[in-house]
Amino acid sequence: MKINGMVTSSDDGSPLPGATIAVKNTTISTLTDAQGKYVLDVPVDAKVLVFSFAGMKNQDITIEGRTVINIALVIESLSSGEEVITALGITRDKASLGYPLQEVAGQEINKVITDNFINSMSGKFAGVYVKPSDNIGGSTNIIIRGTRSFIGDNQAMFVVDGVPFDNSNTNKSAQIHGWNSFDYGNNAADINPYDIESVSVLRGAAATALYGSRATNGVVMIKTRKGSLMTGKKIGVNINSGVSFGVYDKSTFPAYQTQYGAGYGPVHSGGQYPGLEEYDLDGDGTDDLVVPFYVDGSMGEKFDPDLMVYQWESLYPESESYQQKTPWVAPENLPGTFFKTGVTFSNNIEIVGGGDRSTYRLSYTNFNQTGIMPNSYLKRNNFILTATNNLTKNLKVTASAHYINTRGKGRNSTGYGADNVLASFREWFQMNVDMKAQENIYNKTKRNLTWNPFAADYLEPCFWDNPYWVAYENYETDGRDRITGYVQADYKIASFLNLMGRASLDTYSNLQEERKAIGSLSGFFGVGRPDVGSGYSRFDQTFKEINIDFIANFNKELSENINLSALLGTNIRRLTDDRVFASTNGGLNIADVYALNVSTDPMLPPDEMYQQIGTNGFFGGVSLSFFNMIFLDATYRMDQSSTLPYENRNCFYPSLSGSFMFSELLDASWLRYGKIRLNYAEVGNGGQWGYLRDIYVAAPPFDMNPVVSGSDIKRISDLKEERTKSLEAGLEMNMFEDRIRLDATVYQATTTDQIFPFEVSFATGYTIRLLNAGEMVNRGVEASLTGVPVRISDFEWDITINWTSNINEVKKLYGDIQNQWFAWYQGGVAFCARVGEPFGNIQGNDFVYHENGQPIVKPNGYYQKSSEWDKSIGDMNPDWIGGINNAFRYKDVSLSFLIDIQKGGDIYSADLWYGLASGLYEETAGLNDLGNPVRDPVLQNSDGTYDQASGGLIYDGVKADGTKNTVRIPGNDIRAFGYVGNPMGRYVYDASFVKLRELVLTYSLPGALMEKTFITNVSISLIGSNLWIIHKNLPHADPEAGYGAGNFQGFQCGVMPAVRNFGISVNLQF
Amino acid sequence: MKKTYLSFILFAVLFAACTDKFDDFNTDKKNPVIVEGNALFTSAQLSLADQISTPDFNYNIFKLWAQYWTPTINLEEANYDIQSRSVPDSTFKIYYLNVLEDLDEAARLITEETTDNQSEEINLQNRLYIIDLMMVYAYHHLVDIFGDIPYSESLDPEKVMPKYDDAFTIYQDLISMINTALTGLDDSEGSFGSADIIYGGDVAAWIKFGNSLKVKLGIIIADHDAGLAESAIESAVSGVFESNNDNALLYYLSSPPNSNPVYDMLILDGHQNLFVIANTIIDLMNGLGDPRREAYFTAVDTSTEWGIEKLAYVGGIYGETNAYDQYSHVSDPILEATFPGILLTYDEILFYLAEAAERGFSVGQTAEEYYNAAINASFEFWGISDVGSYLAKPAVAYATAQGNWNEKIGTQAYIAMYLRGLEGYTQWRRLDFPVFNIPPAIADYNEIPKRFTYPISEQWYNNENYTNAASAVGGDELTTRIFWDKN
Repeated sequence: MKINGMVTSSDDGSPLPGATIAVKNTTISTLTDAQGKYVLDVPVDAKVLVFSFAGMKNQDITIEGRTVINIALVIESLSSGEEVITALGITRDKASLGYPLQEVAGQEINKVITDNFINSMSGKFAGVYVKPSDNIGGSTNIIIRGTRSFIGDNQAMFVVDGVPFDNSNTNKSAQIHGWNSFDYGNNAADINPYDIESVSVLRGAAATALYGSRATNGVVMIKTRKGSLMTGKKIGVNINSGVSFGVYDKSTFPAYQTQYGAGYGPVHSGGQYPGLEEYDLDGDGTDDLVVPFYVDGSMGEKFDPDLMVYQWESLYPESESYQQKTPWVAPENLPGTFFKTGVTFSNNIEIVGGGDRSTYRLSYTNFNQTGIMPNSYLKRNNFILTATNNLTKNLKVTASAHYINTRGKGRNSTGYGADNVLASFREWFQMNVDMKAQENIYNKTKRNLTWNPFAADYLEPCFWDNPYWVAYENYETDGRDRITGYVQADYKIASFLNLMGRASLDTYSNLQEERKAIGSLSGFFGVGRPDVGSGYSRFDQTFKEINIDFIANFNKELSENINLSALLGTNIRRLTDDRVFASTNGGLNIADVYALNVSTDPMLPPDEMYQQIGTNGFFGGVSLSFFNMIFLDATYRMDQSSTLPYENRNCFYPSLSGSFMFSELLDASWLRYGKIRLNYAEVGNGGQWGYLRDIYVAAPPFDMNPVVSGSDIKRISDLKEERTKSLEAGLEMNMFEDRIRLDATVYQATTTDQIFPFEVSFATGYTIRLLNAGEMVNRGVEASLTGVPVRISDFEWDITINWTSNINEVKKLYGDIQNQWFAWYQGGVAFCARVGEPFGNIQGNDFVYHENGQPIVKPNGYYQKSSEWDKSIGDMNPDWIGGINNAFRYKDVSLSFLIDIQKGGDIYSADLWYGLASGLYEETAGLNDLGNPVRDPVLQNSDGTYDQASGGLIYDGVKADGTKNTVRIPGNDIRAFGYVGNPMGRYVYDASFVKLRELVLTYSLPGALMEKTFITNVSISLIGSNLWIIHKNLPHADPEAGYGAGNFQGFQCGVMPAVRNFGISVNLQF
Repeated sequence: MKKTYLSFILFAVLFAACTDKFDDFNTDKKNPVIVEGNALFTSAQLSLADQISTPDFNYNIFKLWAQYWTPTINLEEANYDIQSRSVPDSTFKIYYLNVLEDLDEAARLITEETTDNQSEEINLQNRLYIIDLMMVYAYHHLVDIFGDIPYSESLDPEKVMPKYDDAFTIYQDLISMINTALTGLDDSEGSFGSADIIYGGDVAAWIKFGNSLKVKLGIIIADHDAGLAESAIESAVSGVFESNNDNALLYYLSSPPNSNPVYDMLILDGHQNLFVIANTIIDLMNGLGDPRREAYFTAVDTSTEWGIEKLAYVGGIYGETNAYDQYSHVSDPILEATFPGILLTYDEILFYLAEAAERGFSVGQTAEEYYNAAINASFEFWGISDVGSYLAKPAVAYATAQGNWNEKIGTQAYIAMYLRGLEGYTQWRRLDFPVFNIPPAIADYNEIPKRFTYPISEQWYNNENYTNAASAVGGDELTTRIFWDKN
């Protein structure tokens, strides 16, 4: 049976295109076309149609045998009806909340499928700072309302259908500190975006207080898609299929100079070509020009096609130009040639169905991505089954099981070290090297024939391997198998009383294997990071978290205008995390076998950790509403945390919030809805496992005598919890008939008794003493503005703007201490907490400034550097972030795009600190103030002035006496542009950016086309992500690139370029 | 209905109330939390011997500063750049964390051992006194390297910013600690047994060690406080080492990580080509025709003609780039995994006593007798025969050797202390002989440095005390002299 009709707005009678018409309790549905018209094929036994449209009240219409149903929908009054999920999965009327809660529908998150759905949260929520890392399968940093703790990683907690979902990352300490290792990603990336029904974020303490000791960092709550009750025996099938192609964004990769080749300066010989070596290499009796092979900089001789030079290709018999001189020219293939086009396939099939008492949803998703790095991939399979059954009228049971496997290979190495080819491409390279030639010779020989051997008669790699050798031989592999699931029973004891009981599990095993093939350059590797020439390491982890929850819910109208609801519950949490990191020692003794048992020397003892954490929580809450105008909420939770000592174990977390619907008092027709909110709450952090008891460290015995040493860390037996007290106020308004919605919040959160590792004088006998001290404040403003600037018959424009500014300040450390270093990075730059500054103060040496404000230049023409290394040279925290999401719909076509903005925040670039010195970038080969090539020799006249034809450069600055610096320094050696002649402060860059993050064009086939088919809906989308960096101030790199999630973000060393993705996806429903 | 509700909550509360396992959760299952003090003592001995022995320029650069060895390519440390690899920080860390803190913790655990048995009580006390002697040894090294150091407030995690103590005051306290230990040690009972990997728990040997160490401390401060030096040495001289059999040596094992750090770095890690022997010691020994050269170094072929080998001992120019193949290297026996770590030796004490005799202290024999005995002991230690003809050389014989006693004793003690970088460097700082070579970067320092600057970490984590200490020692400079270094 077919029903047709038209859907209009009761407001002005205009047709509503895109309204949904569904047969109640089935998946049978359709959308109205541009004229608001629809046709729906309904089963004969269908009784009720549901009409829905965003911003309008849903209406159920009984069919009663009609074949034409026209309807006018009424704009939804927001003071009732919009139900949202709050902490612990409790459903609440949004209007009654005394804190902000922002919910985004799943289709906004899975519009663009990436390896990590958290990336798709960027710009879509106020108060949420999302930073993708650009690493293949890398970890995305997600911080809500600023950094609260000196330790840990401050990442938001993830909860899926009420069950905590572990989001730890297992990146090694060396990786986090910028040394050569891999970014293995954050574990919440396991969540499949196609499974997401909605994502909501609980930002402040009042919203999260019911999570008690886990609530400090805010909560991301994910609701997965479910089946629905149906009367018929129909099933619904939903297929999503997409493919996208990723290419590196050239604006985030070095713009190289292509005029000069290998050399550290005019120092390699004494003749006409001092940038090259000059000796009789071929034994013909005359000197030859030879590349200084060991050099990994490009401050060398100017390219000249007439100059014939022995280059690296002449060294290897497998090379076509073996023993031949080749012209000294820029290569055809610069390092960017190394990157491939990444291809991502994502396929999802979903089957939903149900009967009159049960529902189920089964979904399988396959994600298969090859990265832009050669020999890299990331694969993920998600299987999820969720089923419910109403056993009796009052008892519903739900069970859900989710299996995820992830396989990674060839993730890019991060940080400083020879295994990170990006560190070479950005910092240390010879611009005369043709990347394709390196690839060809690797493919031909499968050996490590590098552009950078020690010397013509000693062909071992000096500083860098052949990059293809690194990609194809020294790759990592990793895998995670994860099962999460729960069983839940909901029992309705009376109309006003519900009981819920749930047991859930989240468990996974991780295996991460790293390789260093025989023949590689030696480097730090494995347990204890000794310097070895080859090796194999494996990291094994088994993680398990169990949560058991009981919640009783009470809800009753006390009188006509007073409603009381209350809850009482308990949460039992048990976590075990078992880790072993083992590696070969002294190299591998058999080539191409990657196993611990081919260790050359006896293995060093593996690093083992076994942690157990338990929390018992008891909580309750009361909500009162008066006249639907005044809402009061109070919650209280007690947690017993195993990570705290007995006497400090019981911690209490109160929250109090209220809201007042002032629009009820006003007679303003433009204001549909207006509310102010105020709340106060306290949440905590029980610290980390293993902080309470001192341990000893066992070493191999000496001649049968046990050898035991004290730990370097002094633990704290009377540890207290770290506590955050938060106060916030907010305003919600809905104006001009739903055309403008505003939600704004101001907050202040003070975290005291910070639990942190305090670095102490070695004379104490320790390096670190764990302490309870310190105070940090986060203050901020958040606003979301949603509007419909245009809504005419065939066309609608929706816009959502999210804006967040969080200001962090370290108020107190320990005792009188004013400054504490938390992390050091290559180049000596440090990330610190300094009293009065934001956490993440970047420190290092800086210019020395004259009282006239100009940097002082020494008599030799180079900058004077401060002798202190604790100068504040930057702040990693952005001033504000924002996202602008636009959606346009015209008839069956919709276009949406997201612009993501960050203002401020600093980055220290070790890439430029080294790479400018070594002469890779175009800035190092321009013209000087006289219009001459900066790398030409400095020509000084006898009277001390400079010849008009002189090269070299004059640093901006003043002499010690304050007069302008006039000393010209040579521009053709490693002192001029980078780390040698300049302080670190010069390499701090503004991290601001404006990015076109997402662009999606969708065409939905008109319903009429499919009338005769079993297909109910087809849409095709063209998708682009990270298409365009509209503006940035950091040259040659993506300001968001880094080494992964964690507390310290403003550092770049050997970072990946950003990847622009173009794709197409198809959605089929039947 | 109500009953269901109640039992439901009751069940939940009962389940939740079990926190008795929480203490177990906090117990580290993978690392020991209860250990014996003896195991910490073993670890401290090993760490100290490792630190003294290692040639790794991240940790101990005194084989360079004593100009025994010189690097081939990594020139920074030989040219007194100690910050590139944070050597002062590593030095603090190893002495305080790996040696002193473990000794302190060992003492704490041993003190907690309770016994009613008198011989066990003596054994326990012996162990505590031996720990004190080890601590004296470690602290005097730190003072000789830095000057004032944290001492009275050190090794206390409650004092996260320990103050620095005056270096001479520390020396006085160290000498009195030795006195107390020597009074208390009772060789009628044992001590650590095999956990003592230097003397096997032999209390009599530790008594000799204590006396010898007192002589060493006495002689080091002799220019600063001759009275204290005299009383310390004269009270100890009858109890010092009597032969090479008494030497404080830690014999390493044949496989890592318990092999000699010289072997670990040069052989195991393949870094043999990072060092050659410095011209300072080779030129000196060549001049004396010293037969110990064959035990100390390898010879290189200096022939310029094909087929004719011309072996000679040639030292690399100190502090300059040196081609590995052209210079003498460390001898093979020293590169053995089992070569001992050398803490204190008989010949070293005899040189100190020779010096004491010259200073007019009453030490039983003349300077010349001790001098000859010291050289004899050194030859014996290195397995070189025919000490007689060496002592007969005019350049060696005490009567005819060049210079005053400072130069005679200084020169021979320096040669005998080969490998013991800090001792050789201290000997040079005290007596100013032999004459050291001036490396290229010396222009930055005006003179050869006399101490380490304090660790950068002290500026960060203990700034106020650091600043006070820096001014107390006369400026935190490489060229500031330790209090005992009078000229």
